[in-house]
Amino acid sequence: MSAIGAKPAAGAAVDTTAMVVGIIILLLVIGATYYLFGSGLAFMALIGIIVGGVLIGFGVHFVPVGGAPAAMGQAPGIATGVAMLAAGAGLAGLFGGAWAAELGVVVATITGAIGGGLMMAITCMFVNYIYVFGMGIPSASGKVAKDPITGDTQAEFKSQGTEGHGLPFVSYVGGVIGGLFGGAGGTLIYLMLLDLYEEELPAMMNALPAQIVPIAVTLAGMFAIGMFLVNAVLAAYNITGTIEGPHDPKFKRFPRAIVASAVASAVCGIVAIMIVAL
Amino acid sequence: MESIVFGIGITALAGALATVAGAAENTESDIGSQGDPNSQVQLAPQMGYIHRIFNKAVAGEPPAYGLWIALGAGIAWAFMAMQINPILAIVLGSGIAVFVQGVYATTAYLGRTASLAKFGQPVYVDILKSMTTVTMAHAFVAIFATVTLCHLINAALGHPFPLPLLGIVWGIALGAAGSATGNPFYGKERQYQNQKYGAGVPIAASGNIVRYAEAGERNSLDNGWFSAKLGGPASGVCFGLIVFLELWRTVLFEEIGAGWGAIIIGIIIILVFTVIDRYIEVWARKNYGPYTKPEEASS
Repeated sequence: MSAIGAKPAAGAAVDTTAMVVGIIILLLVIGATYYLFGSGLAFMALIGIIVGGVLIGFGVHFVPVGGAPAAMGQAPGIATGVAMLAAGAGLAGLFGGAWAAELGVVVATITGAIGGGLMMAITCMFVNYIYVFGMGIPSASGKVAKDPITGDTQAEFKSQGTEGHGLPFVSYVGGVIGGLFGGAGGTLIYLMLLDLYEEELPAMMNALPAQIVPIAVTLAGMFAIGMFLVNAVLAAYNITGTIEGPHDPKFKRFPRAIVASAVASAVCGIVAIMIVAL
Repeated sequence: MESIVFGIGITALAGALATVAGAAENTESDIGSQGDPNSQVQLAPQMGYIHRIFNKAVAGEPPAYGLWIALGAGIAWAFMAMQINPILAIVLGSGIAVFVQGVYATTAYLGRTASLAKFGQPVYVDILKSMTTVTMAHAFVAIFATVTLCHLINAALGHPFPLPLLGIVWGIALGAAGSATGNPFYGKERQYQNQKYGAGVPIAASGNIVRYAEAGERNSLDNGWFSAKLGGPASGVCFGLIVFLELWRTVLFEEIGAGWGAIIIGIIIILVFTVIDRYIEVWARKNYGPYTKPEEASS
């Protein structure tokens, strides 16, 4: 009955046909955008959205999520869902990035990344705090004999009948890296759409640029949150349940998520662009 | 100077509100078994352990709180647009959001528990009556505090996102922080209080949750009391620190170096938490020691 005992439904193998189909759809969407709107702001926005989506999809694989078994100290990781935790961190990053939007794409994207990383750093620290001081349980990985960063041995710290528990240091670092990628990706999508909407909406709605700002911010924010959830959920399906972090064998599945995120972001992106650019 | 002092004051207030919200959120979700430990509450009757624990988990905490807080914030925003006093608007918005939470809790408990009928698990109407209102009360505190902090961020600190969008962002973050921090304490330490302290629950014990209290059968109010001792406050401090430090680094340092000041401070804060985390990990390894000898574990 345990999720730990269950075999992963999908293996690490890459389905070449599916990848080729995905890449063809991606190229078609990029080509359609270029054909419809040229190489201007709309095309650059689509590229930014695809890059942002790929960052989110890749970043989710770093986040150590243990789900229900982690809540019983039966498996390492954070005791919640993959998509939910990644969304929490990424949206906290988007919050910071959106605030810094006027400082330029580079500064705002890095600010968003740091916001996501900060959220994960605090959360992961509190996970270990609860395990150690609330439950008296040390951290132990179930997937590797030694922590790849610290070299700490893991097996003897696993309590009987469990797959490990808590967050070993490599999982903590993975969580922070996941937050950094998620925050950067979400912010990048937001910034690309904001630039496009601020450029196109005044002419479309026959209003002054200053009047359009609240609408542009709201639309870009809603699309950014929506696309964030799309990419986080896609990556969660790729992970199938739980993952310990970058040292987990499931991490090697990320190429599939990158293609899937790029395709999904491109399809969502062209819709977000068409509402103003057509 | 005055604007910085004002900004720090608002930041501190928002951090305090977030702390209250995190503590209330975790206690609410533990009373309703909404986090990952719900799997054990649902599993127990299937293993022959009939219980009186409330279970309203049909969505994870982050999306559920994203919904309720965005709803509360959206309604409050609409009332404010109608020139209603912000405090009254937030109270009304939170009240309506809590009503939705109450409907959700009721239907979720009935649906989840009714699905266990073939394992002999009854639907206890007295549990429904007494637990739902308590979760609603805690949810009101969490929603009100979070919508208020979103309003402060928007109106006083000038964040560009409108109130409902801030509601969904911080609602999901609240649920993520609360479930990550509080779930293990409820799942392992309370539901499996009959297992050894200082070790994870053996997989073979899954479903054998504690069903009896000091007097009579245990219910979810007992679990809320237990969670409020550590899981709730720790979730509160976790979410409070996230909100406070995110605002603090922006308000104080964003103007230094065209935004790079806030980035550098953010990196320093991440490094400080990394050092604390490593210290906790090493402290546990030294003080608790291994469960088995290394050669036995590796063989």
